[in-house]
Amino acid sequence: MVTCDGDADQPETPRGGFVLGRLFSTDHKTIGLQYLWLALISVFLGMAMSLVMRIHLVWPGVHIPFFSALGDTPERYATLPLLHGSLMVFFVLTAAPQLGFGNYLLPLQIGAREMAFPVLNCCSFWVSAVSLLGMIAAFWAVPQNGITIWIISICIFLAAALCSAINFSVTAIDLRAKGMTLSRLPLTVWAWLVNAILGMLIFSILLASCAGLLSDHFLGTHFFSAAAFLASQPANVAADPLAALWQRLFWFFAQAEVYIAMLPCFGFVSHLIATFSRKPVWKERLVVLALCAVGLAGFCVWGQHMFSSGLNPFSPLVFSVLASALGVPAVILLGSWFGTLWEARLQLNTSLLFALGFVSLFLSGGLSGVFLARHELNSGAVSEDFVTGHFHLVMGVAATFAVLAALFFWFPKLFGRRLNESLGKTHFWLTFAGVYCVFMPMHWLGLISQSARNVGADLSSIATWIGPMRSFITAGILITVLAQGIFLVNFVWSLLRGELVKEGNPWRATTLEWSVDSLSPRDNFGDGGPPVYRGAYEFNVPGIAEDFIPQHIAPDRVAKAN
Amino acid sequence: MPGTIAPPDIEIIIEDSRGGGGGGERPPDGGDDGDNSDFDSYRGRQPASPRRFSTAIAIAMVSILMFFMALASAFLVLHHSSHVWVALHLPKILWVNTAVLIGSSFLLERARKRLILGDDRGFRKLWLVTTVMGFLFVAGQLVAWRQLAAQGVYIASNQAGSFFYIFTGAHGVHLLGGVAALLFVLLRNFEKAQISRSLAAEITSYYWHFMDGLWIFLFVLLYLGK
Repeated sequence: MVTCDGDADQPETPRGGFVLGRLFSTDHKTIGLQYLWLALISVFLGMAMSLVMRIHLVWPGVHIPFFSALGDTPERYATLPLLHGSLMVFFVLTAAPQLGFGNYLLPLQIGAREMAFPVLNCCSFWVSAVSLLGMIAAFWAVPQNGITIWIISICIFLAAALCSAINFSVTAIDLRAKGMTLSRLPLTVWAWLVNAILGMLIFSILLASCAGLLSDHFLGTHFFSAAAFLASQPANVAADPLAALWQRLFWFFAQAEVYIAMLPCFGFVSHLIATFSRKPVWKERLVVLALCAVGLAGFCVWGQHMFSSGLNPFSPLVFSVLASALGVPAVILLGSWFGTLWEARLQLNTSLLFALGFVSLFLSGGLSGVFLARHELNSGAVSEDFVTGHFHLVMGVAATFAVLAALFFWFPKLFGRRLNESLGKTHFWLTFAGVYCVFMPMHWLGLISQSARNVGADLSSIATWIGPMRSFITAGILITVLAQGIFLVNFVWSLLRGELVKEGNPWRATTLEWSVDSLSPRDNFGDGGPPVYRGAYEFNVPGIAEDFIPQHIAPDRVAKAN
Repeated sequence: MPGTIAPPDIEIIIEDSRGGGGGGERPPDGGDDGDNSDFDSYRGRQPASPRRFSTAIAIAMVSILMFFMALASAFLVLHHSSHVWVALHLPKILWVNTAVLIGSSFLLERARKRLILGDDRGFRKLWLVTTVMGFLFVAGQLVAWRQLAAQGVYIASNQAGSFFYIFTGAHGVHLLGGVAALLFVLLRNFEKAQISRSLAAEITSYYWHFMDGLWIFLFVLLYLGK
């Protein structure tokens, strides 16, 4: 893996024709954009699927041209949630914040010319693209083959993600510019680094589990097979360790995957809130520690998913404590965000709005998470809708908000133009209201359908509520999805006709990516990279003329206030 | 920062970084790793920093370790919970294979010492023997597979068999990667490469010893769990 990366470091090497050169570019900026396009395609596919699911749930008979064909048979309907989940988790939540923005911005923010292994990076992207095609193909195949294709696609994606994780960690560790010490790293870079290390650990676990599934299928091994299931059933014990084996391995990955999606978002939000508050990040060191703690604790909480599946009676307690321990870094992060916002003169643009929307969603999603982390509450409250509401709010939607915030912020860097602010704000408010209308009632639906199981519950009154509530949720989804049309219009229009960004640093930000022109040159900073003199969040330093000091300006060149 | 005098004409602090400071300390050329030692503390002024290879292999090893840990934990869980676990008669040749692998690790270190001393011929000879021992190990594992199959234990026969074949197979594939690296160090012309032969040999040695240790771990696991 290491040795195959021979002569990848000459950025100016001419390659192939123009199209091939663009497609198979080893430039981290091109690859970052390619990942973002992949995420954009996947998010709209995934959203269409969720729409079909909700419509089927409320109006089973209704026929929508083209879309109905997606879920017309029971088998196909059952594959909808699977595909919706895998597209959203792998190709949107994992790809956009880490692989998309990370690839584009990590070398720029640390003053490097390229990623550590550019060829490997290019391979990772194209392998991921193949994996996406495989998943889509799995949807159209016969269920039995479809699931095999799907598992293989997941394996391919994981292999690519592992290579990217190695690439990211090596880049952040070894390729920093002169003077870019660890304490001067922007929080975004910290988040990407911690995330890459966490990903490297857990992706290989899922890869091993999927390899087990595939070898069961093709070689007839007995890891998760029915024969193994029967072999592990003692005569009179009801627990099933086999299902527990798959669940252990899977949740080991899946719980940490939530933090894989969230960690870069924490980085974005801290970064954006500091930039638009024109204040240093409050307790920056503590935030770095919190990011590391999220990575560490996220790695240890898998057991909380199995409260309802029967574990050793003592282990729920341990996992409950661990899961609740995650509250500590979460509170530190929230404290830092509010501390930074405190008495700040905010520049309330769309980017900051989305960042604040993230904080709101994270807070409300996190509160319902407290219920799920307590095992005695969890076994009562765990009903599909409650969990669905919880994790969509905290993982899916919150992360999407952070990605949108990042997109509005870095759009000038990515495309040399700005996104339209008024369209952006309309999009924000509609989406913000929409997602609360969708996912808050879901929590409530989960609680009341659970209460129906209590002795003496008034079933008829509960049943009358469930139908209208479901319709309300579906209407909410329709509005939210339509609001994304505004975003799409804004995106396409701004890409072609948006306001051109003349200066290199439109947001008056401090980090290195703004020290070069928008639409950064191919080799970023040229030879050597910029020297770095200070931390990433020097806003409103007393005695300085401007309200910010970029990291690369030598101390003797900083203008003093009169 | 306070105390220094800024030129009065600098009002806007945004400027082109390329013309800016720090240029005087720039290393003469980013390409060759021979003359970078003075700049090591800056870690990667040059994209070609050879240090990235050692970091990458360290991280890749952790990742591979997690892969095998997931399999090992599956082994422990299933072995512990199964009440019809069929014990395996592990082929005796596995002991020989283990000895060959440990011996190859030992020889590899001897070869690296030769390389550091500048004895190129001695290095090549020992390194070649190491590579051959790597191939011998893989061949020995295949013989073990055949012996087990002769006992009537196939991959699909029972759980113990599944784990045996998957453990040895996955380890063998990873080990073949190590053999490829050994061949690379032996055959590559390092005149034009970005890294020196000694660094490539060092990185390969980490991976090879890791494969060695991993095999001992798996062997102990299989032996105790047979």
